[in-house]
Amino acid sequence: MSETSIVGKTVLRVDGPAKVRGESRYGADIDIPGALFLKVLRSEVPHGLVKRIDAAEALKIPGVVRVFTHADVPGENSYGIIVKDQPALTDKVRFRGDALALVAAETDVAAKRALEVIKVEIEELPPLYDVWAAMDEKAPEIHAKGNILTVSRVKKGDVDAALETAAVVVSRRYTTQRVEHCYIETEAGVAYMDDDTLVIKAGTQNPHYDRRDVSRVLGLPINRVRIVQSATGGGFGGKLDISVQCFLGLAALKLGRPVRIVYDRRESIIATGKRHPFFVEYTSAATKEGKLLAVKAKIVGDTGAYASYGPATLNRAAVHATGPYEVLNVDIKALCVYTNNPFSGAMRGFGTPQMAFVAESQMDLLAQALQLSPLEIRRRNVLRPGSLTATGQRLDKSVGIGATLEAAWEKACQVMPGLGGEAR
Amino acid sequence: MKKHGYGIGSMWYGIGSTAATNPSGAFVDFLDDGTAIVLSGCAEIGQGSTTVLAQIAAETLGVDLEDVAVITADTGVTPDAGPSSASRQTYISGNAVRLAAEKAREQVVAKAAELLDLDPVDIRLRHGQVWYEAEPTGRTIKDIIAQCRGEGILTLGHGSFNPVTTNLDPATGQGTPYATYAFATQIAEVDVDTETGIVEVKKIVAAHDVGTAVNPQNVEGQIEGGCSMGIGYALLEEVAVKDGKIQNPGLSSYLIPTALDMPEIFPVIVEATEPSGPYGAKGVGEPALVPTAAAIANAVADALGIRLYDLPLTPERVVAEIKALDSLKPE
Repeated sequence: MSETSIVGKTVLRVDGPAKVRGESRYGADIDIPGALFLKVLRSEVPHGLVKRIDAAEALKIPGVVRVFTHADVPGENSYGIIVKDQPALTDKVRFRGDALALVAAETDVAAKRALEVIKVEIEELPPLYDVWAAMDEKAPEIHAKGNILTVSRVKKGDVDAALETAAVVVSRRYTTQRVEHCYIETEAGVAYMDDDTLVIKAGTQNPHYDRRDVSRVLGLPINRVRIVQSATGGGFGGKLDISVQCFLGLAALKLGRPVRIVYDRRESIIATGKRHPFFVEYTSAATKEGKLLAVKAKIVGDTGAYASYGPATLNRAAVHATGPYEVLNVDIKALCVYTNNPFSGAMRGFGTPQMAFVAESQMDLLAQALQLSPLEIRRRNVLRPGSLTATGQRLDKSVGIGATLEAAWEKACQVMPGLGGEAR
Repeated sequence: MKKHGYGIGSMWYGIGSTAATNPSGAFVDFLDDGTAIVLSGCAEIGQGSTTVLAQIAAETLGVDLEDVAVITADTGVTPDAGPSSASRQTYISGNAVRLAAEKAREQVVAKAAELLDLDPVDIRLRHGQVWYEAEPTGRTIKDIIAQCRGEGILTLGHGSFNPVTTNLDPATGQGTPYATYAFATQIAEVDVDTETGIVEVKKIVAAHDVGTAVNPQNVEGQIEGGCSMGIGYALLEEVAVKDGKIQNPGLSSYLIPTALDMPEIFPVIVEATEPSGPYGAKGVGEPALVPTAAAIANAVADALGIRLYDLPLTPERVVAEIKALDSLKPE
C-alpha cells in the first residue's frame, strides 16, 4: 500500500467545532414559527384490544387542533426494519408504552392536557412477561404468527461425540439484563410540507430506512418523503428504529402545517427499544492441552412486544457465540421471542456483548479446570489466518485477534504492575 | 476488605449486516476551484463518520482535508448509505466514497496526462497539485478541472459498495455472513470491596484490531467511550421491569457511569489491514464495547474466587455471593 498523507492521521473532527460551540442543531433545536406541538398518548395496559377511543373532551380544550388514532393512518399501519409488526398508532396493545393516539395542539400545555382527557376503552388480554411462558404452545399469541419470532442455528461437526472425548466439559447458565441506550438527546424533530413533498428533520441513524417506512405508513411515493437527519448525539442502535418520524409525517401531511415533537427522557426510555435480555445455557469442552473441542449453546432473547432488530440480534449472537476461537464442533440455537415487555432492538454490539460475557467466562472456567492461565488458553485457540469460523468461513486476511491478545498483554504488563507477568 | 483482580475479555465482530446485502452509495463532485463535495447518506451520530469520509475523499482526490465538504444523511440529496450500525460505515461507506472519488479523480488524471503528454499511470494528485511520479509538474488540480469544464466535462464520480457475503444455511448456519471482522482484547483491573460489594474498575487496557485506523484519535475516542458503556453494562445499568412496566424511566433511578466511575484507559491500536477496506480500514464502533463487561466479570471472579453468572454485577449480587460462600465454610 502506498503512503497516505491524510488517511491514518489524527485530524480535527469536521463536526467538532460546531458541537463544542453549541451551534449544532439537534431535533429539539429546530424551531419553525407556527409549528404545532405533538404529544403521544401511550398505553398503561400491557396487552389488549383497543375497542374505542373518545377524544371529544380533548378537542374542546382551546388550542387542541386534532387527535389522530389508528383509523387516521392512510397507508399500511405497520413498520419495522426486519418485520413489519409495529403499528404507528395501534388498535392492539402489546406493551405498556404502545402509542394509542397523537395530539396536535397550538401549545405544549394544551397537548399535554389533551392526553389526560382522551378516553380509551381496552379489552385486556392475558399478558406474557416471561420468555419461557411465551414459548409455551398454549400461550396467547402476541402477534399472529406466534411468539417465537425466529430461530437461528449454527451447526458443524459432531458436538455430542466431542463432548464424550473431551478432557474437560464446563456447562453453565447465564443471564444478562435489559439496558437503555442513554444517548445524549432524546428523540425529537420537525416536519412540514414543501409543495407536495413531506420533509421530516429528526435525529436518526438511518434516514433512508426512515423514508421507506414513513412512505409505507403514510401511503406516499418514496420520492415524496424527504428525511433530513438533524444533529444526532449518539444512537447506539436506539435511533435505528422509527420513533417520532411517522407521528411527525402523519400530522404534517394531514394538517398541512409544520409540526414538532420532543420526547422527554421518561417517554424516550418507555417508548423505544432496549438491549435484549439474554438467557443462555452454554457448554464448552476442551482437550487436556486446552484446545477447544466443542461449543453448544441455547440462547433465548426477550425481544418484547415488537421485532425491531431482534432477529438480527439473535442471529448475530448465534454466529459469534464461540468467541474469536477455532472450534470444530458447534451447535448453537438462538431464539428471538415476543413478550409483552418493552421491546428490545439494536444496541451497540447486537447480542455480542452478551455472548462475550458468556463465552469469555467459559474460557476462564476451562482454563481454571486445566490449570492454564487465561492468557494461555486464549493463545491456544484464537482464530488465525486459515482458520474456519463456526459458520465455516475461512479467514485469510486481517485476522488480528492474536495480535490484540499479545498487544493487550504487553501493555497490561507495563501499566498493571500487580499483574505479575506470564506466570500468573 | 478490598480484593484485587485482573480479567481478560476477547471478541470478534463481523463488519456489516449479518448475511445480508447492505450496500452504500456516494457521489463526489470535484469542483472548478479544486474543492470537492461528497454526498453520502451516512448518518453522523457522534462516532466520527463524516470526518472519516472526508479523509478518504481528500486522500483519494489529492486535495487537503479542508477542501472537502461532506453532505450527509438527507434523502433528498444523498444516496442511500444504509444504517450507521453494525460498525459498517468506515468499511462500506468509506469504500463507496473511495470509489466515487476515484471516478472523479480519473477524469482529472486523464486530462492532466493529455495536457502534459504523460502516461496517466505516472500521474499523482497531491495537496491540490499534479505530480509526475515524485515531482510536482507545476500544474494545479484547479487548472485541470477548469480545462475540463471548458471542454464540457464534469468531473463527477459515483461509487457504491456492497460487502461480499452469502446467505447462511437455515439449518446449519454455514456460509459467509461478513466480508471482514474486527477483533479486540481488553484487560481490566478491579478492586472489589467485600463488605459493600462495590466493584471499582481501576484500569482497562483495550487493544483493538480496526484494520487501518483512518483517524487514530477518533479510534481512541471510540474505545474510551465503549469502555465507559461497558462499565455501565457490567456493573450499574439495568432497566427494571415489573409486570411489563419500567420502574426506573429516568436518569435519577437508571444509573450510568459518570466521569467519577471512569478508570484510566489504555487504548492500543492494532492494524491488521484489510485488503478490501478503504485504505485497509475495517471498523471499531461496536467492538469498543463488546469485550468490556466480559473482562470486568473475569476480573471480579479473579479477585473474589467467586464467579457471577448474571449481569450486572451489582453490589447486592456481589455481597450475596460472598455471603453464600461464607455460609458454606466450616466455623
